[in-house]
Amino acid sequence: MLTSATTLVERRTVLAGDYGTHPYEAGWAAEALFFVRATEEHPELSIQPQVSPDGIDWLDHGEPVTLPADRALVKVGMSQFGTWIRLHLTGASQERPATVFVHLALKG
Amino acid sequence: MATIRERGLEKFNPLEKVLVYDDFDLGLNGWLDLTPNFVHEDYRSQPSQVDLGSWGPSMLSAAPMRFAASHGSMEGTYSLKLGTRPTARAYELPPADGSMSTVIKRLSRVNHDHRYLQLEAWYSYTPAQDRWGKGEEDIRAFGMWFDIQDDEYRWQPGVRYVNSVNGTKVKRWQLFQLADAVTREEWTGSPDGWEAPGIDAIWCGRRYSDGSADGFQWVPEGEQSLVYNESPDKLNWLYLRLLVDLERREYVEFQSMGRTFDLRGTGATLAPTYDGISGLINPVFFIETDTERSVFLYVDSVVYSTGASPKA
Repeated sequence: MLTSATTLVERRTVLAGDYGTHPYEAGWAAEALFFVRATEEHPELSIQPQVSPDGIDWLDHGEPVTLPADRALVKVGMSQFGTWIRLHLTGASQERPATVFVHLALKG
Repeated sequence: MATIRERGLEKFNPLEKVLVYDDFDLGLNGWLDLTPNFVHEDYRSQPSQVDLGSWGPSMLSAAPMRFAASHGSMEGTYSLKLGTRPTARAYELPPADGSMSTVIKRLSRVNHDHRYLQLEAWYSYTPAQDRWGKGEEDIRAFGMWFDIQDDEYRWQPGVRYVNSVNGTKVKRWQLFQLADAVTREEWTGSPDGWEAPGIDAIWCGRRYSDGSADGFQWVPEGEQSLVYNESPDKLNWLYLRLLVDLERREYVEFQSMGRTFDLRGTGATLAPTYDGISGLINPVFFIETDTERSVFLYVDSVVYSTGASPKA
């Protein structure tokens, strides 16, 4: 039987600029699926999955996913990510903030 | 695997009945981030002076390092890692949103003739190596407590290691115990605060520049220079054990490494019962950062045991 776990790396986090989600170690897992849920009105967000050698310096990994202003939920899958994973979110600003929950489902 | 697991228990000293033996090589084992009750309109939680949904999430960790190989755990590969977000306020202020990380396991009282309750853990602590320097002074505090509610009281016996306050090392142990005559407003920051004095001490109560706080009392002769090592990428595994008396609602013993503190006769702080949680016993671990830097608590393994006698 595989091990699986879900967590929230962000819980009602208010974005007012570019933002990297909490660095997460997923070395035990073979697959990772993030869900970004925006509450209330929000601008279009670009969501770039990233990997890292150390949880400090980050590199893009795969293609960005867009969360349009008229949608509330989007998924971002990752594989072959090594250990450290996060999402880098852009599109929010002081004038047009966004409030997000970021779920992470891991399996391996 | 079974043999290794049984031998692994040799590094603990449990009471008569081992209810929980969690090695994080086998998964999260039912430990999860401590969160508030999202039961109000729009799934909001009850208002509090800090955002209790903001703490950094826990994770299974092989303790990867920036300049060293992954550290693994004391036994096996994975430990349960608590990681704060890189944010802090001065010690004397209420904790910054995200400045802690907490994990909880939700249990309940089973053997009512088992008067004693003990938690043991092997753990380590370090900051993120996101800047040069040793980093020891950037870890503010860590520890564990039991959240207990019996038929008459809610009470939270626990221990906190005050490692550093506003960048100055302290390295002393405290007990969870309320100072005299603390009001609800002083405890929660609001006359309408929901946390009863003595409950949720890690984010409630006033804090003072020497590391003392309304919710904590210093352990007598509780100075202890726990191993930190010389660099954020070097972990040394440490042992702690807390034994409490459920009948007298008192501390019995606290052991940290080779030192055992006799706490008999030291009562826990008793608060009124909350609805719906009688019989609850939840062990909780926590860590808090002292500066704008993530800090980590790694828990290799945990044993939670009970018994009619304080010795196995």
